[in-house]
Amino acid sequence: MNRAPSAGLVLRVDPVACEGVGLCAQVGDRVVDLDRWGYPVLEPLGSPADVRAARRAVRACPRRALWVEEVDPGL
Amino acid sequence: MSETAVAGTGVRAARLLLTDAVLPAHGPAEPTDPTPAEGWRSHLAAFGPRPGGTPALVAALERSRLTGQGGAHVPVAAKWRRTLAGHGPLTLVANGAESEPVAAKDGTLLRQRPHLVIDGLLLAAEALGAQRAVIWLHGDDLGARRALRIALAERPWEGTAPSVELLDGPVHYLAGEASAIAQAAAGGPALPTVRRREVPGRPRTLVHNVETLARIALLARDVEETGTRLVTVLGNGRAVVEVESATTFTELLADLGWTEAPQAVLLGGYGGLWASWSRVAHLSVDEAALRREGLSLGAGVVAPLGAWACGIHQTARLVDYLASMSARQCGPCVFGLPALGERLGALAVGSADVGRLLDDAASIEGRGACHHPDGATRLVASAVSTFADDVAAHSAGRPCGSGALAWPELAL
Repeated sequence: MNRAPSAGLVLRVDPVACEGVGLCAQVGDRVVDLDRWGYPVLEPLGSPADVRAARRAVRACPRRALWVEEVDPGL
Repeated sequence: MSETAVAGTGVRAARLLLTDAVLPAHGPAEPTDPTPAEGWRSHLAAFGPRPGGTPALVAALERSRLTGQGGAHVPVAAKWRRTLAGHGPLTLVANGAESEPVAAKDGTLLRQRPHLVIDGLLLAAEALGAQRAVIWLHGDDLGARRALRIALAERPWEGTAPSVELLDGPVHYLAGEASAIAQAAAGGPALPTVRRREVPGRPRTLVHNVETLARIALLARDVEETGTRLVTVLGNGRAVVEVESATTFTELLADLGWTEAPQAVLLGGYGGLWASWSRVAHLSVDEAALRREGLSLGAGVVAPLGAWACGIHQTARLVDYLASMSARQCGPCVFGLPALGERLGALAVGSADVGRLLDDAASIEGRGACHHPDGATRLVASAVSTFADDVAAHSAGRPCGSGALAWPELAL
């Protein structure tokens, strides 16, 4: 991935796998909020810093429920 | 609605798919006065032999603008193109697990025209090169199962098409959800899933509603897109009718014996949308016309709410029902839907904050593995706008007088 890192990247969650542990929100400031039940609400990745935060959140998840996905800008 | 009125006149001239049926208010589509299932011989006499399925059918699907009749109304041609472009063993599923508590059009179709649905399934399986053809039913839909077993047994074997498997799903609101069916057809539990990544060559499942398949079977025989709609109308019991798509909601209800205008109708089912009667009375029972108004016919359910009932109270019960029918997999659905039901219930007795109700609804939208929570959030939003007067009165601390429910109590 040597183009601008935020282009076409999104942070996604598998809500079935997610158990609301909440570590993602601790390490993924700005890109992960928790709703009032403790489940993640994901924000768009607008900058390289956001992408780094998203990757930290992905690594932190003990349920492996998060991933960063490249989306086709044509869609 | 009197039961004799259902025979109807006038607005329902052409009946391509089914004969009108009257049913009890809930449960499987068991009619009070059954129409016998069409046997193999009369099916052949009515429609002629089944043409072979080829990818060229996509063009006819495109022209007809046929959309998925299970409720989502995704263009069938688009689904076929995507499937034809993919690789990997394909399972084609005819989805007869009609889960909206009011809906009965699919069950009625399977009981009356099992061969037309099987035709559509085999045609699509041939055209798309499917290795498996499955008919998926609710576990308690014994009438549809019986009709299909008889139809499959009397039908001569067709060399080119895969044999048809009859699978029983669980008895649950989410038993008809496409990703749950895909997982169940592959031997897993019938629970909604999230697809993380397309892996080329992996087994695929294409799910079509049974009415969609019956319409594909008609299209393949050059019966033009029929211009009719199958709808289930709730009244004193249920009625499944086939109407011209030009029929207005006023004509539909008048024909079924409604003498008073309702205050609103719930369109699509319990996971559908409320619309005030003044908004839809003049509209036709047609997906395209409703889409222009920001509405949808969904799975073809029309549930009118009498002028005396409280829409907020009724919606609170519907949301409680939807919450009870969560697959209990995703946090936003497990916790969010009961919260919506609670806030609506509080609103009905005159003590809630509409702003927080709508905020909660917005925060849940789109965050489940399937669209179950989205059905509930849109229902809530449509209730708040449709019953704005009730909302204003209840928010000002005036609970509704009767608290009576228009519809039969739901088993939660």
